[in-house]
Amino acid sequence: MTKVYKYTLVDLARNRFVLAFAVLMLVLAEGLFRIEGDAMKAMLSLVQVTLALVPLVTLVFTIVYSYDTQEFTQLLAVQPIRRSAILAGRLAAIATAVLMALAFGLGLPLLVHLPGMVSLLLFAANALLVLVFVALGTLLALTQRDKARGVGIGLVTWFLFVLVYDALLMALMFALSDRPIEPWVVPLAALNPIDLARIAVMLRVDLAAMMGYSGAVYQRFFGSAQGILLALGLMVLWAAWPALVAFRVFRRKDL
Amino acid sequence: MLSARTWSVVAGKGEGLVATIARAQARDTIVIEGMVREGNVTVDKPLVLIGRPGAGIDGERKGEVLTVTSGDVVVQGLVIRGTRISNLDDNAGIKVKEARRIALLNNRLEGCFFAIYLSGVSDARVEGNTIVGENLREEQMGNGIHLWKCKEVRVLRNTVERHRDGIYFEFVTDSRIEGNLSRGNMRYGLHFMFSHRDAYADNHFEDNGAGVAVMFSHHIDMQRNRFIRNRGGSAYGLLLKEINDGEIRDNVFTDNTTALLVDGCNRIKAMGNTFLLNGWALRLYANSMTCTFEANVFQGNTFDMSTNGELLLNTIVGNYWDRYTGYDLDRDGRGDVPYRPLGFFALLVERVPFAMVFSRSLFVALLDRAERIIPTLSPEAMRDDRPLMRRPHG
Repeated sequence: MTKVYKYTLVDLARNRFVLAFAVLMLVLAEGLFRIEGDAMKAMLSLVQVTLALVPLVTLVFTIVYSYDTQEFTQLLAVQPIRRSAILAGRLAAIATAVLMALAFGLGLPLLVHLPGMVSLLLFAANALLVLVFVALGTLLALTQRDKARGVGIGLVTWFLFVLVYDALLMALMFALSDRPIEPWVVPLAALNPIDLARIAVMLRVDLAAMMGYSGAVYQRFFGSAQGILLALGLMVLWAAWPALVAFRVFRRKDL
Repeated sequence: MLSARTWSVVAGKGEGLVATIARAQARDTIVIEGMVREGNVTVDKPLVLIGRPGAGIDGERKGEVLTVTSGDVVVQGLVIRGTRISNLDDNAGIKVKEARRIALLNNRLEGCFFAIYLSGVSDARVEGNTIVGENLREEQMGNGIHLWKCKEVRVLRNTVERHRDGIYFEFVTDSRIEGNLSRGNMRYGLHFMFSHRDAYADNHFEDNGAGVAVMFSHHIDMQRNRFIRNRGGSAYGLLLKEINDGEIRDNVFTDNTTALLVDGCNRIKAMGNTFLLNGWALRLYANSMTCTFEANVFQGNTFDMSTNGELLLNTIVGNYWDRYTGYDLDRDGRGDVPYRPLGFFALLVERVPFAMVFSRSLFVALLDRAERIIPTLSPEAMRDDRPLMRRPHG
């Protein structure tokens, strides 16, 4: 597994896409901090941008890279290496590469301009998003033979998570507003990893407003650090399940 | 004419404080040394009570500690403690009843039920006192500085902590409250009702259970105060209820759940205030009329404004909003398109509080933007026609 990890990482180090992503993030974050005089305001813009952009880039990159290196994977598969080792090495390598790009492009500007708890939280949420979407992308690429189809489904998945899901949830909330649906809203939102990342950041950023919430259901969840930890913990689950399914699929797959 | 005498009271020696007061003549001075253990001490003639460093009176929880019933009394530099907790008598560390020309200076009141209690007093000065209560339950703690039916009182540079209300006024007129620090109180940092023509300047209210609430008063002037970190479901940086003709100028509101709530107020002028990182910066209820909000700074708040109705009979003009994205072609420093401070999301949360979960979601951001461009839900009049392009002052 370490060998696969190492060679994939070396290959990824030369990948222009990863480099471009790192530079894009850096330009974006640095630009926001410079244009907005106020670091906190820049940070709030960054929340919105990164929570949409990081999943998109991670997902598309993982899918495309998986298809592009299919032959290499086949080559590895004929060697006396266990298939789980191959997949584990690849997953870890892709995640490492994107995380390094993220650390460079987002972590660095945050550290320079606004060191503190909020920045750490934003970075952690984005890092977990990377893990989630690397796992999802790998699973998608494994289950679809056709590259175009794989990328297409990836884009639809992203769009679903980033926009449609919230829209549907809010529509549902309004449609059922005369019923006691309040306890269901947060668990339903937790089914979406991007929502989880957003909620984790929001529980800190909008703390003052959160404390104004007087309903009994989320009083503890909204007002405390527990909510943040819970949201981040659920994201780990969100990264775990597609990865586990991917292992199952890969073990049985006819390459 | 008899010249004034100076008496000395030393703790544990001689005849004690009560007896000395009885023997003293009007205009005499009594100097206290050490902790005198006597409760219910009454000053019923014009006297000056001065404490040497570390001197004070311990009431031993018998009732009141020091009661002043005469005018022209000065109490200075004393440590006061040991009131009895009683909701029937409102026992206080220093209580002044029906008197004029009183000065309470640089005292330290520790763990008193009520600390300083002025009733029917005029022309008094309460300055430089340090008042620290105990963190008991709300009903077991009185107010730090409590004024009832007073006029022309100056409350200056006091520190009040851990009481029920830090500073409480009822029927107090023509008074000045300046440079006080009120923090960590269980209920309000400052609480006043029916108190007209009062001025509040350079005070600091922080971390109080419910912030600051002022009600049913007119001609209020509040300048350069700081309202910081008052959080909770019904906590307000500053709650104005039924206030007429007030000026709220150059105050700073930071990190409050609701920074400024305006409920049923008329002719309030709020200018040059800074709203920073609050949940709701300004909650303006529709029952308020002819209030003006001008040249304020709104920055980093979750919601800039919210309201509870369609009607808007107030003026909001020339403020700085950090969310404003308009342009300024004629370069006069004012945006050429109006800013609508009421976003879709603010309206939504007003109706469905737990929709807060969707804060900063991309979908909400899009709807918010759409609502600001083509308002369909927010009242048409709710807008700033000449928003500032740059943040003024600081």
